[in-house]
Amino acid sequence: MMRLLPVALMTLVTLSSCMKWEDGAVTDVAASGNGVFIVCEGNFQYGNATLSYYDPESGHCGNELFYHANGMKLGDVGQSMTIRDGVGWIVVNSSHVIFAVDATTVRERGRVTGLSSPRYIHFVNDRKAYVSQLWDNRIAIIDPESYSVIGHIVCPDMSVESGSTEQMVQCGEKVYVCCWSYQNRIMRIDTASDRVDGVLTVGCQPREIAVDARGKLWVLTDGGYPGSPAGYEAPALYRIDTEEFRVERMFRMEIGNDVSGLCMAENGNMLYWIDGGIWRMPIDSDRLPDAPVIPTRDTKYFGLTVSPYDGDIYVADAIDYQQPGVIYRYTAEGDLTGSFTVGVNPTAFCWK
Amino acid sequence: MRLFIYVLMTICSLAAVAADPGVILRNVDYTGRRPMKDIGVNRTVFDSLSLRDNVAMSMADVLAYNSSVYVKEHGRASLSTVAFRGTSPSHTQVTWNGMRINSPMLGMTDFSTIPAYFVDNASLLHGTSSVQSAGGGLGGLISLSTAPFAHDGIAAQYIQGIGSFNTFDEFARVTYGNDHWAVSTRVLYSSSDNDFKYRNHDRKENIYDDDHNIIGQYYPEERNRSGAFKDLHVMQELYYDSRRGDRIGLSAWYNSDNRELPLLTVEYGGEMGFENRQRDRVFRSVMSWDHVRSGWKTSLKAGYMNSWTAYDYRREVAEGQMVSMTRSRSRVQTLFGEVSADWIPARRWFVTATLTGHQQLVRSMDRSIAMGSGAAAVIGYDCGRMELSGAVSVKWQPTDRIGLSVVCREELAGYDWSPVIPALFADARICRWGALTAKASVSRNYRAPSLNDMYFMPGGNPSLNHERGMTYDIGLYGAWHRDGVWAFSADMSWFDSYIDDWIQWLPTTKGFYSPQNVKRVHAYGIEFKANGQWAVSSDIKLYMQGSYSWTPSVNAGRHMSAADVSIGKQLPYVPRHSASVTGRITWRRWALEYKWLHYSRRYTMSSNDVAVSGSLVPYFMNNIAIERSFGWPFADLSLKGTIRNLFDEEYLSVLSRPMPGINIQLLVSVTPKF
Repeated sequence: MMRLLPVALMTLVTLSSCMKWEDGAVTDVAASGNGVFIVCEGNFQYGNATLSYYDPESGHCGNELFYHANGMKLGDVGQSMTIRDGVGWIVVNSSHVIFAVDATTVRERGRVTGLSSPRYIHFVNDRKAYVSQLWDNRIAIIDPESYSVIGHIVCPDMSVESGSTEQMVQCGEKVYVCCWSYQNRIMRIDTASDRVDGVLTVGCQPREIAVDARGKLWVLTDGGYPGSPAGYEAPALYRIDTEEFRVERMFRMEIGNDVSGLCMAENGNMLYWIDGGIWRMPIDSDRLPDAPVIPTRDTKYFGLTVSPYDGDIYVADAIDYQQPGVIYRYTAEGDLTGSFTVGVNPTAFCWK
Repeated sequence: MRLFIYVLMTICSLAAVAADPGVILRNVDYTGRRPMKDIGVNRTVFDSLSLRDNVAMSMADVLAYNSSVYVKEHGRASLSTVAFRGTSPSHTQVTWNGMRINSPMLGMTDFSTIPAYFVDNASLLHGTSSVQSAGGGLGGLISLSTAPFAHDGIAAQYIQGIGSFNTFDEFARVTYGNDHWAVSTRVLYSSSDNDFKYRNHDRKENIYDDDHNIIGQYYPEERNRSGAFKDLHVMQELYYDSRRGDRIGLSAWYNSDNRELPLLTVEYGGEMGFENRQRDRVFRSVMSWDHVRSGWKTSLKAGYMNSWTAYDYRREVAEGQMVSMTRSRSRVQTLFGEVSADWIPARRWFVTATLTGHQQLVRSMDRSIAMGSGAAAVIGYDCGRMELSGAVSVKWQPTDRIGLSVVCREELAGYDWSPVIPALFADARICRWGALTAKASVSRNYRAPSLNDMYFMPGGNPSLNHERGMTYDIGLYGAWHRDGVWAFSADMSWFDSYIDDWIQWLPTTKGFYSPQNVKRVHAYGIEFKANGQWAVSSDIKLYMQGSYSWTPSVNAGRHMSAADVSIGKQLPYVPRHSASVTGRITWRRWALEYKWLHYSRRYTMSSNDVAVSGSLVPYFMNNIAIERSFGWPFADLSLKGTIRNLFDEEYLSVLSRPMPGINIQLLVSVTPKF
């Protein structure tokens, strides 16, 4: 029996622990040049959101920058990013946090917590920013210097459970907010009083908003889904006059289409969006274009941006939503000039 | 008739041997005819030692440490799913006393809600073999059942477990039996704070100066927040045996679970007050009648299941003001009926026919939306689906050495008939040495989409196709023994399967997920299991069992875009290698048990990138237990100490879900003698 003991001990040692935990070493990151950050939302409940940076001049793309620069993960469902005064504010929706990072080194400068489900951050001035939220009927007001929530704007006629405020833009002293999930309104906030002073009904589920060179708002609705109590209709593009806060024009698309990615280019004179392929339309057009500038490539595009520097079009392909996505770079004429790999589900772009 | 009795006795004797590893194989006649019901079948039977090892164990633990299936767990009393052979959890069918208990909404089963002490018989039917019992088991089938307590008069048992993290388990069972009747009542109550400590390697805490500048960072040592649970299980059984070939059984099982759902490691909202909780109340009951006569047997079963699940996510929006953000409620009712017949028309023939029906009634309310008009609208679905499954099998043993079997199954889900599900089985005894037997099988299989797949709001896709599977199996089985000294058995099989129209939930641009038929998967590999016992001396006995599986499961579908690099890659959350070993040595009234489990690297991305969050590193889990039993004229007593995660591994089974380090449990079992 004793002869078996060494064998048993050897076996025990062999079969026992050998797992090594790999903590992230903090390394120097340089997001240099006039490049673009790409927020990759990852998969819900995986905690695998990442941040990439692409420098168009060198053609180099760095991935997982937040992890390398800080030795920790970005979080669960990276949602959006805004840069102000050399600081990038990354909203991580399901982690309930907004990270403030140096826009070059990507080192953390601070973080804002105490949020329900943050979606987008909009800076009113140096001392005040608004944060839109899902599952909440309030827009949070934060102090960027102390990284703290200093107040809330209560949205009228919105319950907590179906609360949803999304993208925001500012014209003058007013901030305009899309009320998205199960909503159909654009809210206007007076930035002096931090109160909602106007509400405009549009189509079903307005999600994305942009302001053009003439100070007009453009709103893209996704149309909801079949069976939704909030309705189901064809998605549409709305042009809204901010002076009178009314819908000037509505461009109806095909029902059932997945539309997203509304963005402004050419100094606010050209609209871009995703509807299968990539579409664009001058802001003074009176009808939707007949054909996309970039046709679909047998995939579903997940994100879109247009370079403010050279007008190149960047289109995100999430592929199967479970692998690192790819960004295709096109010229303004729609010619493919290259591609680069980023993280899982690239969803938001933020130019330096 | 003699043949039928012989077949039954052979099954019973094998089951009895399998059920008690403390008995050294001695009198099993391996040279006799094999049970015809198992011709070509690849089955793993769990012994009573596995099922009765620890009152705190769920079936997820039993499956992880005693088989080659992959158990993906979120921690104790949290979602634990099981996948065979590189398939998904919804490809594993699970029956309890014949009634399918997969959630009709999700298609899968949470094994953390099934305590091992509430299961008397458990077995796995691997791959093609699942067609013998049900359709839709593209990976396999897990059969769980209760059985009469073999004891005359009154018997009782009480077990108390006390463990780390304020974990308490209380189990009591009272039985009464005589020649005709057997009655059993068992109760289990488990509770825990489940607030184990762990080092959070995914996030850092900042150290600030007075001007909010970060002057330092560190990985915090945290406690698992929101992991507490309180689970109650009550089971009542009643059996009647006429001793003239009629048996009636009734099993009714109620469980009430109240579980907090833990936070991710990358959660920063924990400083706010919140509640993240799931509550389940499930009642299952099955009544059966077996009527055995010369050369034939008929069985009737009827069952009812009522399952209520509530999920609440609430957050503190202001000091002391908690508001509900998600309030999901679902109720599932299942009516179950089964009629089956076994018939022996001639000496070497065996025919079975089964018709099973499940009427599913589901009401799911996921969210309550306040509309602009002030009215509230509920988002969810309310629907029913009739699921029928009929099968006929014919088994033939042309010689003592060779067995052939064919099964034809047809299924209906709602208004959709599946194509005929055929399965062919064959086995042949190669030689007398170890009764070495080769077996082979092939089957087609179809799985209907779950009700959530089709009707969930938002995202349900009513136009989904059935998932289609084709599986081939070849195996070798042998058992060797020396009377009263040692026994050893081994079973090895190779499998190869293709699954088309694999259903996967994908994000949409509208903020929700929707299922699509997207993949073709090629899963293949080897499964090996072995079991050995050795009576070293009259006092010392050794028992060891192990399993290993090698399961490449690769995406064999079309490219989803030009940039898709997932083709030919291992599916996410499917380990290529998994292995488990359990060893037990007994000396007089002492027993020492060691359990070991290994899963190889599991990718989280379809591209198999080993990025920051691209994979979970392999882990080895080691548990050890020591037990001492005492016997007195008035009672038996057993004391047991268990150390789990012996080497205090920091490991993850699921990304961003911490698992407990080393933890202990003490168990006291009292069995009074009446």
